[in-house]
Amino acid sequence: MNILTMLGQNLRRGYQTLIFPARPRVTTRFRGLVEFDPALCTGCAVCRFRCTSRAIEFKAGKGEFTWSYNPGQCTFCGRCVEGCAEHALKEGRAEHALSQQQDTPPVYLRQGELKKSYTVARRPPAPKPQAPKPAADPAPAHSVTPATLPAVLAASKPQEGAAS
Amino acid sequence: MTLLTALARLLVFPGLLFAVPAAWFFLWVERKAVALMQGRVGPPFMQPFWDFVKLLGKQTPPRTGIAGAIMRAWPLLAVSSAAGAVGLLPVLPSSGGFEGDLILLLALLELPSICIIAAGFSSRSIFGEIGSAREAALSVSYNIVFLLAIVSIAASQHTFKLEALAGMHPSFLTVLGIIAILVCLPAKLHINPFSLPNAEQEIYAGPMTEYAGPELAMWELAHGLEWVAGTGLVATLIAPHITAAWLAGGLFVALAFAIVLLLSVLAAATARLAIDSTVRFYWQCTLIFAILAISSAILVRFRS
Repeated sequence: MNILTMLGQNLRRGYQTLIFPARPRVTTRFRGLVEFDPALCTGCAVCRFRCTSRAIEFKAGKGEFTWSYNPGQCTFCGRCVEGCAEHALKEGRAEHALSQQQDTPPVYLRQGELKKSYTVARRPPAPKPQAPKPAADPAPAHSVTPATLPAVLAASKPQEGAAS
Repeated sequence: MTLLTALARLLVFPGLLFAVPAAWFFLWVERKAVALMQGRVGPPFMQPFWDFVKLLGKQTPPRTGIAGAIMRAWPLLAVSSAAGAVGLLPVLPSSGGFEGDLILLLALLELPSICIIAAGFSSRSIFGEIGSAREAALSVSYNIVFLLAIVSIAASQHTFKLEALAGMHPSFLTVLGIIAILVCLPAKLHINPFSLPNAEQEIYAGPMTEYAGPELAMWELAHGLEWVAGTGLVATLIAPHITAAWLAGGLFVALAFAIVLLLSVLAAATARLAIDSTVRFYWQCTLIFAILAISSAILVRFRS
């Protein structure tokens, strides 16, 4: 009888279909077209490695690299965004078929029309952090230096036959 | 029944002039009711009519030879037999009729089903053949119960005349028979849970897969007329005897409408059964009640 209760509820609630031109709301977890920020990208190509649908292409050049994204192949799984350590990729919410910003959904007439390519100059590697200098004052008496370690271990080791 | 009365019943009321709009209306009621119960909008009021008009304007693929002629003949035969069945219904009081018209009504009600089976096989489509085989298995299953139920009602009233049956006083036996007919109606009208022959997610349109254009329009019309005939038969059996013609006509429409709603609730609330479950349902569960009904009817007849 649960099904009859459900049918009654549906009847009371009315239909849930959106009548044109109403549009469904985009939720906060909606995964739209991937947006790329060239300023943050370091060219590690992890996104290309993680993209199972091969929507992301990466070509390394001399002093620069080219990052391409084809939404026609993208399955919007979000793995590239998850894997980007520099946060250069994010899931867009504005540019998609459900966008509330356009009167009509976009119409694409040829294959690869949405494909975007960015050629980004490689940033010079960041300088290596300086190794900390050893302290000038002598080590405190309770600290264990590598040189003294075997002696300390030997001292703390129980002697054979001590208990008997 | 004079020739004029027969023609009026066949062509005007409850025949073609009434039955065709009623068929579209009942089809719309069923679709709309199921849609609303599922939280959808459903079709607009005129949708079945516009579907019919649109299909009439379409071109059909050319089919030559005797196979093409046979394929074109089945929907016409189904429409004419269903329209004839509606025309036989004793809706208005003292509208005439003849002894044995119940037998003719049962034959006319069965003809669309036979046409569907033949159409599926003659279309030479694998989906059509599967649909036809399912329709045949379904038809064998529910028809035993359907016929036994109607014969038990007729035997209890000592007549095979529809007008006499329409004016009968309700008894336990007739109520049992009417319930058995109601149980068979979903299978006769191919709605859930007995929508096997036209299981659209499995075998496309079943026997109708190869049909298009005006021929498909005729099938749709035949299906709508089957709705009117099936629900109308139950409506005439349960309607009380009323002498005023307009009141009797209105009550007929209201009762048929209520039965359509009831069947829509059933269609919305259930899922499609597999063929073995369907056959088991009719042969094991329902047949017992039908046999009880007819044996009681025969006993009553011998006693009286």
